[in-house]
Amino acid sequence: MSTESSVEKPAQRVAIKGASLRLGEGEEALEGCRCPDCGDTFYPPRTVCLSCYHEGLDRVALSRCGALHTFTIARMALPGAFVKAPYVIAQVQLPEGVIIPTVLDDVDPESVQIGMELEIVIEKAMSDAEGNDVMAFKFRPLKGGAA
Amino acid sequence: MSSRVVVLGVGLHPFGRHPDKSIGEMARVAGLAALKDAGVEYKDVQAGFCAHVNQGVGAGLRTFGQLGMTGIPVTNIELACASSSRAAMLSADAIANGLYDVVMVIGVEKMERGLLSGVGGKEFGYNDAMGINLMPAIYAMWAQRHMHLHGTKHEHFAKVSEKAHRNGALNPNAQYQKAISLEDVLTSRMIADPITLYECSPTTDGASAVILASEAVARKHTNAPVFLDTWVGGTPEYHRGEAEQAEGPNAVLAQKAYEAGGLGPEDVDVCQIHDAFSPGEVFLAEELGFCPEGEGGPFIWEGNTEIGGRIPINTDGGLLSRGHPIGATGGAMITELALQLRGDAGQRQVPDAKTALLHNAGIGGVNVMVLKR
Repeated sequence: MSTESSVEKPAQRVAIKGASLRLGEGEEALEGCRCPDCGDTFYPPRTVCLSCYHEGLDRVALSRCGALHTFTIARMALPGAFVKAPYVIAQVQLPEGVIIPTVLDDVDPESVQIGMELEIVIEKAMSDAEGNDVMAFKFRPLKGGAA
Repeated sequence: MSSRVVVLGVGLHPFGRHPDKSIGEMARVAGLAALKDAGVEYKDVQAGFCAHVNQGVGAGLRTFGQLGMTGIPVTNIELACASSSRAAMLSADAIANGLYDVVMVIGVEKMERGLLSGVGGKEFGYNDAMGINLMPAIYAMWAQRHMHLHGTKHEHFAKVSEKAHRNGALNPNAQYQKAISLEDVLTSRMIADPITLYECSPTTDGASAVILASEAVARKHTNAPVFLDTWVGGTPEYHRGEAEQAEGPNAVLAQKAYEAGGLGPEDVDVCQIHDAFSPGEVFLAEELGFCPEGEGGPFIWEGNTEIGGRIPINTDGGLLSRGHPIGATGGAMITELALQLRGDAGQRQVPDAKTALLHNAGIGGVNVMVLKR
């Protein structure tokens, strides 16, 4: 019989710092906040509503699909970044109105167009010191979506 | 409010690469030049503001201490790339309200070569892992949006840099004093589409100093004062469904400045704007009211912002060519406009300039000023 402390913990899935993700239950998505008073929605999550100053917002899963608000093709990678140049830095507008800074995946940078439909991809970025899977997100062209 | 505020003295340490100089040495050169220009002595200075971003603890003492140790209050000010214009605003608030008669702003920065990053703190997170914290990318994404909405072309942005370097070639304090062609700009290394290397302001070492004074004291030293007439500062505003502003509401602040100063964009003879990246001048030509929204590209392409054009912008080369030692930049903008309004800008002089507008932006804040003679 092993004691409880020696039981191997299964790897947990945790969001990378600076990203807010709803992981594990049902369909995974970005997690933002919605104001119970005025309905405005925010990403990243915050405590005080920027529209009506209500304090204490509800955590909500955000839409998995959105449209490209704007982008650039980065021709040089920053030190320490996981991405390789060239890569597409993007702002994605979700139906809730929020604009998400992110990078695009699975896309020819030269074919990217403002307005194209995108969907989120949530995937492991690295392992942390405790052996957890550290999860990050990107967006990619929606399969079958209008370009 | 009691007094009008005068820009009594200005001075620069030449902008460029000065790895062997301390911030104290550069501040001393700029500070002594400003004192001489103002015709006052350091013992006349009643308060100081040291504007810097990354120069560490005690930068105020290390800079002002080079000029004297008179016991005056010296305060360090940080507002990213808009630090020294904010320091000048605080000085002007104090003078206008009768707290002091003579205040000195020293802006100073020593910078590493390469890309600025690290906005948002030191902890490695999502934006670092994904390479999102790329400064040119912020302006590049605004530029892509502008191209999408208004049909602006890369050439329009590139023209800003070509013009900036042509002006910088006339400025002995500029980091780059060499004209470059539009072709040079367009074919330099792409950094973040549509921004090429020559459309990015450089990292720079340098210092600026500005002495502000009450009108009563200033009149003892000059018969032709240049007034800091109006100043407004702001931070980003939230608008539901819109992308987050990185710097601030430029058009709102410009409108406030015009109203407070009793003028309109058509009255501005010469202007300094924040061209950290070339698209900045296209956006600001619109936001400051010099041309209608969406028409900034053609407006600049047609030469309206050149010396001799309708509204000369960044006659000293701007951030792109004069250089951008972030803590010192606002003071350099004030310096150029003071020279222009006095008629002391030499080959860069805009004939009979009477009214000037300044726009200085940093992550987290924007300052707009009107100067008059």
